[in-house]
Amino acid sequence: MNFEAVIGLEIHVETKTKTKMFSSAPNVSLKEPNTAVTYLDMAFPGTLPTVNKEAVKNAIKVSHALHMEIDRELHFDRKNYFYSDLPKGYQITQQRRPIGSHGYLDLRTSRGLRRIGIERLHMEEDTCKQLHLSDYTLLDYNRAGVPLVEIVSYPELRTGEEARLYVEAIRNIVVYSGVSDGKMEEGSLRCDVNISLRPYGQEDFGTKVEIKNLNSLKNIEEAIEYEKKRQASLLLLGQEIAQETRRYDESRGETVLMRVKTDAVDYKYYPEANIPPIRLSEDFVKKAIEETPELYDAKLDRYVKMGIGEKEARIILLDPLFASYFEGALIKEATPKEVASFLIVEINSYLNKKNLTIGQLPLKPEAFGHIVAYGPKHGLTHQQTAKILEECLNSGISPEEAQAKLKIVALSSDEGEVKALVEEILRENPESVEAYRNGKDRALGFLVGQAMKKSHGKVNPALVSKLLQEGMK
Amino acid sequence: MKKVDLPLLRDASARLLFLMKEEEYLTLLEEFKILVKQMEKIGKIEGLEDYEPMTFPFDVAIDELREDEPAEVLAREEALENAGSTYMGQIKIAKVVG
Amino acid sequence: MDILDLSIREMRQALEEGRTTPKELLEKALERAKKDDCNAFESILEKEAYEALEGLGKNSGPLYGIPYLTKDNFSVKGIETVASSNILKGYRPLYDATVTRKLKEAGAILIGQTTMDELAMGGTGMSGHLGYTYNPYDPSHKRMVGGSSSGSAAAMAEAVVPFATGSDTGDSVRRPASLAGLVGVKPTWGRISRYGLFPFAPSLDHVGYFTRYVEDAALLLGVLAGHDPHDMTSSHRPIEDYAAYLDGNIKGKTFVRILDIEESLSDKRLLEALDRLSEELIKRGAVIKKERFGKDLLESLYATYIVISCAEATSNDANLDGIKFGPYYEGKTYDEAMRKARTAGFGELIKRRFVIGSFALMKENQDVLFLRAQRNRAKVVARLNELLALGDALLIPAASGVAPEFEAGGDKLSDEYLIADNHLVLGNFGGLPSISLPLAFENGLPLGVSLTLAPFKEGEMFRLASVIEDITGLRGLSVLNRKEGNL
Repeated sequence: MNFEAVIGLEIHVETKTKTKMFSSAPNVSLKEPNTAVTYLDMAFPGTLPTVNKEAVKNAIKVSHALHMEIDRELHFDRKNYFYSDLPKGYQITQQRRPIGSHGYLDLRTSRGLRRIGIERLHMEEDTCKQLHLSDYTLLDYNRAGVPLVEIVSYPELRTGEEARLYVEAIRNIVVYSGVSDGKMEEGSLRCDVNISLRPYGQEDFGTKVEIKNLNSLKNIEEAIEYEKKRQASLLLLGQEIAQETRRYDESRGETVLMRVKTDAVDYKYYPEANIPPIRLSEDFVKKAIEETPELYDAKLDRYVKMGIGEKEARIILLDPLFASYFEGALIKEATPKEVASFLIVEINSYLNKKNLTIGQLPLKPEAFGHIVAYGPKHGLTHQQTAKILEECLNSGISPEEAQAKLKIVALSSDEGEVKALVEEILRENPESVEAYRNGKDRALGFLVGQAMKKSHGKVNPALVSKLLQEGMK
Repeated sequence: MKKVDLPLLRDASARLLFLMKEEEYLTLLEEFKILVKQMEKIGKIEGLEDYEPMTFPFDVAIDELREDEPAEVLAREEALENAGSTYMGQIKIAKVVG
Repeated sequence: MDILDLSIREMRQALEEGRTTPKELLEKALERAKKDDCNAFESILEKEAYEALEGLGKNSGPLYGIPYLTKDNFSVKGIETVASSNILKGYRPLYDATVTRKLKEAGAILIGQTTMDELAMGGTGMSGHLGYTYNPYDPSHKRMVGGSSSGSAAAMAEAVVPFATGSDTGDSVRRPASLAGLVGVKPTWGRISRYGLFPFAPSLDHVGYFTRYVEDAALLLGVLAGHDPHDMTSSHRPIEDYAAYLDGNIKGKTFVRILDIEESLSDKRLLEALDRLSEELIKRGAVIKKERFGKDLLESLYATYIVISCAEATSNDANLDGIKFGPYYEGKTYDEAMRKARTAGFGELIKRRFVIGSFALMKENQDVLFLRAQRNRAKVVARLNELLALGDALLIPAASGVAPEFEAGGDKLSDEYLIADNHLVLGNFGGLPSISLPLAFENGLPLGVSLTLAPFKEGEMFRLASVIEDITGLRGLSVLNRKEGNL
């Protein structure tokens, strides 16, 4: 019997704002414990929530990117439960009326284009951070109240690959809209998977297993593929799937039982009376959408249209700061393809060597663009330009100074001059010409070498090669 | 509706993280009988279902949000001064498992 | 009459004319506070009050040098504030409630905190951690002053200060005011910021206060009202000059009496006084209409109130776990620590209320309990609006009679007297401005009457109330300034 996996994802995204969702304490991730806290965050009696404008804008931006309907009136609810990391004993969320609903994402998967429906996007607040030590737990309230958006897909994903692509697409959206760092490894984007199996053709869902705290795209895909196999083998043995929560053990490549779900927790949702309904004007929603920076997919399209390969474009887009550096370097005189190439190879290797991030690069993007343009303009080869670039980075000097310092001389690209040289070489080496004509490609290299030798390395080898080939036709 | 009996009331109070005196559960059981009866009576009031559940008594909708400007940070000592169990600038509790 | 028995306006005048000083007012207030034998106080803040006096400077705020008391559920920075509950023992707020701050800015001097029903969940003054609060009008201490703002009502009846704060979720200011011969005000929901008020049930909670003069009540609203960026539910409507409404002119004003509420009352003296009041109002040009609310709806008020308020309370008080503040208990697990704190910290009455509220919110029960109660609230409010459309104010007795004896029972849910003593909650369901004030006396104990109006009609409310005050002759009432009244 063959089984089909039914997969739904719940993604929590910590959004970037100056302050928390419902209080004016700063929203910062790296700070001494309990130094970014105000009255509400520790649930002192009598404190009241006030809704952060920027957090609402962020939710609108992501909702829009996910093709969702945006509710023009905000309503909040309480989710009631006791836990050590929940200061108020309830979490303020949007149960009845999420700000975003009924959206979708298109994914290019190995099974073709797949449209995945998204049920809802709602705003809520994060809990406090727990540090579990050997025999006690410490509570840090800095994270308590950090704005979150939760994005819930319909159970329309079928494979680990699809899930990975879905999360990747959402990460790209939240990162490029400036809404979040989207760092799974640091928990600013968290993903929970619900997965069940059913025989192909069956309508009803099987028993659902939850996999929590998956901290990388790779793990999402692997955990799902493992879980599919695990559940399938149980079903084939005629065993029941237990309703349980599992986690992914990266080292073993397996999902591991965390806890069996007894009766479902009753969160006793009800409306938050401390926040009145908030009407969003068309203008406010429109502005939030318009303020959204260009997103990943739009950038990808644009880069490819500039003549950059898709693979290279995706490398640049791995990091929005990298992409923004790239765009800053696109001056008129430089071709985008060249800029991309120098960025991906030379700049990247410099950053790796020096252990720097793109933000720390001691070269303004525009200056980098000028260096890329400098080479072709002065008849320099790619390698020569690369040497100049390296020198500029190391010494902080201009490309002119670098060229002088490195004694780099422009190679002749004067066709008449080079042609005369090529004819001389062809005359002097008839055996090699013969060999080339007989299919010995290596002879061409020899001839180019002879030409370089004769000219003391002052001609453009690419041009030499081209003219040699023409001469031997 | 769930049937109200003593085990249910004990379970409900346990979930609210407190215990009650034994006779209080009996008092509560009596109170529930009265409340449930009265709520059933309310359910029979004609036209009740025509009304939406009310949280806000009149139109209180607003059109403003809080500006995203930081303010009001507590000093750590202040934040923790009312807590009974602290350690190294954090609140210390028994180890949380799972 | 002593200076402390005057209205705030008269006190201010005396201050301006040099007939008294803020220091003298404070000394006298503290002296009276120390004589209290009704268990009105959680604390008397003598040292802090003198410090505040020092800091007054040449303040010319509307309450300059006026001493006052606050209910123990308003956050006061640096001062232990426990809402008369052991679960908050030792808790010193880090911030001032907006009400506390506004009063400070207006020049008022806080001299103490008053006892209450635990966490404001009760109406008898019997459930606070310091025990019963007594009604000053009954020296034998057999009678309650009502709750939950019990201590504020008792101290006001002892004329310790000219005003005291309270909170009103069902009738927690207005009923005690009635039982203690005071003016008790609860304005429109959202008129006064709730920031810093320890919540009971936010959709019904109101900041309120006690005075002995209607004019003081008008003055105070001007100080306390207004939008607060800390409370999104606080209204942006402009604050009015409420005192300007006190012109005594009620010509053409319509008072609506609710017959089915009156029929539920057995106190003959009360009904007789209400009739006489109506006659006097007519003499002054007012119109009296008699309407019926609907008995079924009236009988539904109490259960509806219990379900909604307890459901909200169980969530609001989930933060009380001994971890962040309040007495901490060691436990092998975090939930054991919390369970110990909550078991020891909460009184038995409110534990029962929490269970009821939590049960009402459970998924399987919401439809027939919480949501049904919320729907019924909507139906009640729709009916209220119909009646308010017929006139300017509802004129209703503020309690079923004089202060009951403690023996008559605590806050146990009961099947009896469903209408009498529960109807003031109408004002909370509708978020409507409502006031209670003295009507007459019966065997030396006060009876009260209430007015309820459409949202934000506080100015009108004070106008009508000041005429009633003029008719009854019961201004500035306290056990030190007894009057029989005209009705």
